[in-house]
Amino acid sequence: MSTWLPKRSKAIRDPGDVMSGCVLLAVSAFLLFYLVPNYISEPPILQNPMMSPRWLPRIVAGLMIVFACLLIAQGLLVDNTAKEDGRRIEKGPRLRFAMMVVALVVYVGLFEALGAVISGIMATLILFAAHPVRTWWVYGLAFVLPAAVAFVFVKVMNVPLPLMPF
Amino acid sequence: MDMISEVLHLFLSLDNFLAIALGVVIGVVVGSIPGLTATMAVALALPFTFTMEPVAAILLLVGIYKGGMYGGSITAILIRTPGSPASACTLLDGYPMAQQGYAKKALKTALYSSVIADFISNIALIFFAAYLAKIALNFGAPEFFWLICFSLTIIISLASGSMIKGLLAALMGILLSLVGLDEVYGSQRLTFGNYNLMDSISFIPLLIGLFAIPEIIEFYRKKALPHLKAKASGVGMTLAELKRCLKSIIRGSLIGVIIGAIPGTGATAAAFISYSDARRRSPNRDNFGKGEVEGVAAAEAGNNGVAGATMIPLLSLGIPGDVITAIILGAFMVHGLTPGPIMFQENLTLIYALFVGIMFSSLVLLVVGNAAIKYFSLIADIPKSILFPIVLMFCVYGSYAVNNDTFDVWLMLGFGVLGYIFNRAAIPAAPFLIGFILGPMFEDNLRRSLLIGHNDLSIFVRGPITWFFIALTLGSILLALYRYFAARRQAPSNTTQETS
Repeated sequence: MSTWLPKRSKAIRDPGDVMSGCVLLAVSAFLLFYLVPNYISEPPILQNPMMSPRWLPRIVAGLMIVFACLLIAQGLLVDNTAKEDGRRIEKGPRLRFAMMVVALVVYVGLFEALGAVISGIMATLILFAAHPVRTWWVYGLAFVLPAAVAFVFVKVMNVPLPLMPF
Repeated sequence: MDMISEVLHLFLSLDNFLAIALGVVIGVVVGSIPGLTATMAVALALPFTFTMEPVAAILLLVGIYKGGMYGGSITAILIRTPGSPASACTLLDGYPMAQQGYAKKALKTALYSSVIADFISNIALIFFAAYLAKIALNFGAPEFFWLICFSLTIIISLASGSMIKGLLAALMGILLSLVGLDEVYGSQRLTFGNYNLMDSISFIPLLIGLFAIPEIIEFYRKKALPHLKAKASGVGMTLAELKRCLKSIIRGSLIGVIIGAIPGTGATAAAFISYSDARRRSPNRDNFGKGEVEGVAAAEAGNNGVAGATMIPLLSLGIPGDVITAIILGAFMVHGLTPGPIMFQENLTLIYALFVGIMFSSLVLLVVGNAAIKYFSLIADIPKSILFPIVLMFCVYGSYAVNNDTFDVWLMLGFGVLGYIFNRAAIPAAPFLIGFILGPMFEDNLRRSLLIGHNDLSIFVRGPITWFFIALTLGSILLALYRYFAARRQAPSNTTQETS
């Protein structure tokens, strides 16, 4: 049952590149054959096809297909897995990552509803707890910093932000 | 005389001085914290400049750029963690010096070399930008079309790892730049009926998402590493040592200027070329790599010699030389300015005020750099577990501030996830950004050329300038292909050597 898998993975020199290439190939094909014809409207009369709003997206999507195929070929023929290109990481606890996602959700979900300061405090507290930060006074920064940064944005730089829900 | 007084009137304001000082401080601080980059700092500072005067806004970003270039070498010397790829060369001799107890000497050497190189680079900028802009005044749409083609081929060199991945990233950038209303026909392109996308994808959320968020995601995804502490101890650089290194510094600065003026080549190449040149010429060549002060000086001179010169193509042609100048180009656009030859005609006083400010930033770098050496441990001891939540806060606040809309925060997070996927798949983000900036310029000049030439394609080969850029474009492609295949040929031989 498992005999063909190792042989196939040996044939593929760089599975990461092959996978990236396949994803990009699928995205480019979807773009060229579905999105460009359906989501870019073309004027009825065109003096030159190169003036069309579809022309450049079509060329770009076509080139993406070509280069995605080349990337797949590269992955099949060339082994780049030994390169220090940042693809390998030693993963940490899942809870830490999940808490970061929660912090992001707090920001995007509650930013306008609760304001920059409260959502900032909540998200910062979650991120401090995620690591976790063990120095108790640092948690005080989670209250001070969002207020200070929001103050700098709104009062010093005159860049508007929703400060508070009330 | 009127011009001088106008320039001084524009420059001599407290805001400008504060912007430069603050920019350099932020740059040095951020650059000297491992994991934070000058690119990230420039991207995060951009929303703060919305309400600033254009000169102060640009000077703030330039200050961060310059400070970051030097700041990156501090961590390279002290904890063997280069703050930027270009600082990797400084590490070769800087870190051995620190291990031998000469950390302060290495840091001072890096600082003085950086300041001298920066100064030389600024002078080059002042002399060559105006000259190049004067030549560029003769350019029409077809010439600019080929210039942009040439710049797009340069993207290949920005793709540090794989050329194919760099090109794919650039194409994705071009594609996303086309989202929105078509400027000629007003038809919607890939907006999916969303009114937020009709005015194209906002540059700032893209920038913040692409360069700051992936670092944050990676930090919380990765296993926590112990926090490294370091101290700048030992004696400083002597005058005799500075004199000994001066030739290497000047040569390195000139190498940096030449390389920096070519879009896409970058500081890393300049640092390594300067280093190898100094090594070849130095009587102490055997000591290079073991803690040679001249090695640090040459690497830093090459690295910082690029800083002013990358602004030459930006100011004179409107073409960004690297990622940071691409962000600075975005800052110009935010303030309603379009860098290029026309700006030299319409906003000459502003350009000269920028030149004065850029020169002044070298002096500020000297002062701030000295202070950074003294107080480095205070800066670098801030753990990332405290820094990254603050960085995320800046990301969210900054993105929201663009249009006062949560859509931009979503957009920023979307690009953050895309940037993270890029990191995981080793796809470089820099070509994506350059593609995003150059895409609309490419299309605009193509269409204008067709309109000028009444749809006759011979307009694209109408004169010597177009032929010159066609030759450059073809040369650039051939050179990239040659380098690609040379690297491929070298890879198996290295593998064979390793296995034997």
